[in-house]
Amino acid sequence: MSIVEQLAEAVINGDETATPRLIEEGLAAGIAPGDLLNQGLLKGMTEVGRRFREGEYFVPEVLVAAEAMKAGTAVLKPHLAQAGVRPEATAVIGTVRGDLHDIGKNLVATMLEGAGFEVIDLGVDVPPEKFVEACRQRPVQLVGMSALLTTTMPMMEETIKVLRAEVRPTPVLLVGGAPVTQEYADKIQADGYGRDAATGAELAKKLCRLGRN
Amino acid sequence: MNAQLTSHERVARCLRRRSHDRVPIFDAWWRETEQAYVAAIGDPNLGCGIESFPREPRPDRLTLWEYFDMDLMQVGWPDQRLRLTPPEVLQETDEWVLQRDGNEAVMRWWKHKMGTPEHVAFGIDSPDKWAQVRGLLVPAKERIRWSEFMPRYQRARQDQRFICYCAVEVIESAKDSIGHEQMCRAMIKRPEWVHDVFATYTRFSIEMFRLFEAEAGPCDGAFIYGDIAYKNGPFMSPRHYRAFVFPYHKQFFDEFHRRNMPVIFHSDGDIRLLLPHLIEAGVDVIQPMETRAGMDVRELAPQYGDRLGFFGNIDVTVLARNDRDQIRRELLAKMTAGMRYQGYLYHSDHSIPPGVTLETYRWLIEEVRRIGQYA
Repeated sequence: MSIVEQLAEAVINGDETATPRLIEEGLAAGIAPGDLLNQGLLKGMTEVGRRFREGEYFVPEVLVAAEAMKAGTAVLKPHLAQAGVRPEATAVIGTVRGDLHDIGKNLVATMLEGAGFEVIDLGVDVPPEKFVEACRQRPVQLVGMSALLTTTMPMMEETIKVLRAEVRPTPVLLVGGAPVTQEYADKIQADGYGRDAATGAELAKKLCRLGRN
Repeated sequence: MNAQLTSHERVARCLRRRSHDRVPIFDAWWRETEQAYVAAIGDPNLGCGIESFPREPRPDRLTLWEYFDMDLMQVGWPDQRLRLTPPEVLQETDEWVLQRDGNEAVMRWWKHKMGTPEHVAFGIDSPDKWAQVRGLLVPAKERIRWSEFMPRYQRARQDQRFICYCAVEVIESAKDSIGHEQMCRAMIKRPEWVHDVFATYTRFSIEMFRLFEAEAGPCDGAFIYGDIAYKNGPFMSPRHYRAFVFPYHKQFFDEFHRRNMPVIFHSDGDIRLLLPHLIEAGVDVIQPMETRAGMDVRELAPQYGDRLGFFGNIDVTVLARNDRDQIRRELLAKMTAGMRYQGYLYHSDHSIPPGVTLETYRWLIEEVRRIGQYA
């Protein structure tokens, strides 16, 4: 098994001690940092996402895989910068105003990073203006909104209206969370709905036309 | 058999899937809903709340359960914080408060409405730290809100309601002290730590139940809370449930079964994958059966109705439309499916949201009583 294959496998197995070691070994062997990222870490996370979507993996397996990916990314990051490798897209994510739930949103942020996005996490109880501000500070290709309550779902609609009015070009707008359905996403004119973190990340890649994995 | 039963008799028979007169009724409301209903009803005897912030038990007042003449009553709810000290307020606005609690967890809570807090940080972030503080989890009388629960217990006995001892199980306990994410990671990376946390909370919970029982008197059933799933399925695989959670659930539930107390298990989310294991652990009834998570009594009753009861599943999104035809259809579809197996109790599939008007709600409860009659 090659080093990049071992790297992907280490992510899949949630081995956070192996990923930094394999990155070092890969760099020493002359493997391009972009290949270690795309063919190793992100490929591993893509497989983790697939297993999660298909019910082979559950939250614990995803969390340890994310830790392994992050441990590897920490070592790789300066080398990526040096090689001029930048994330293909930036995602802004947050739980909408009036809602303090964060676990699902954090899982989506992790999966988006695993899909190759740079993720700006605005946290919870995020008002529409804060989403707009984040989109004005840098080029943003995707905005992800989360809500866990039926009572806070309408704030997604409000946020979408404000983003469509204030941010041009408007990024891809994705919604998700326990009470959200495809029907509701269509009704509030979101560009997409992720029924779970992995599906959301996969859809985000598709809608933002990310193709490096 | 169909002469009118007392609430106690009705629930006791229903939980054991024996014939009874009508579907037992119980419900939960969002804090805002409860406040709005109490205000609209305008009865000065009402207002003994469930949780509120800050807590105002008002033991002299009645609960909405009593006002609507529901069949169950909840007591117990031991305080399982490691330190019973007031939370340290770190930051506060009109809407929320950020505080460090007795578990050394930093959480952001809404001040005027219910809901899960934001988990900002957990002070117990390693097995070593846990080892330093686990000894603080000592069963003690001051962990029960006696001034609230003793009058409730006594009124319920007098009114012949079915008294449920309420507590949380290990996942819910550990969520408050070490956090969901750390707990999930530890299942893979530090399994011995997870076992120690779960075993510690289980011993504590059993001791607290014994203490409550010794002081207040016997309870009729157990209502155990533990969100072990979200809308797409359980947080953990059946393998991890079996390895980490099952032994402690069984130990806890056995304590109730030894007293002939049925166990009602509350979990939001889609728990279908875990149902065979939960039944084996000793769960007698599942609640609240969240529709949006795919829980459906019409699907589950034919599969498990001979060994499991169903409590809830009435879709709050339908109720919130305040459309009587739609609500009636929802009640008929779900209640009829559950009633076929004798083990169905009415509850919404979550908590009644503020959008359900008091007028609708009064009508709903009467409709449940009508539809829920056994011939």
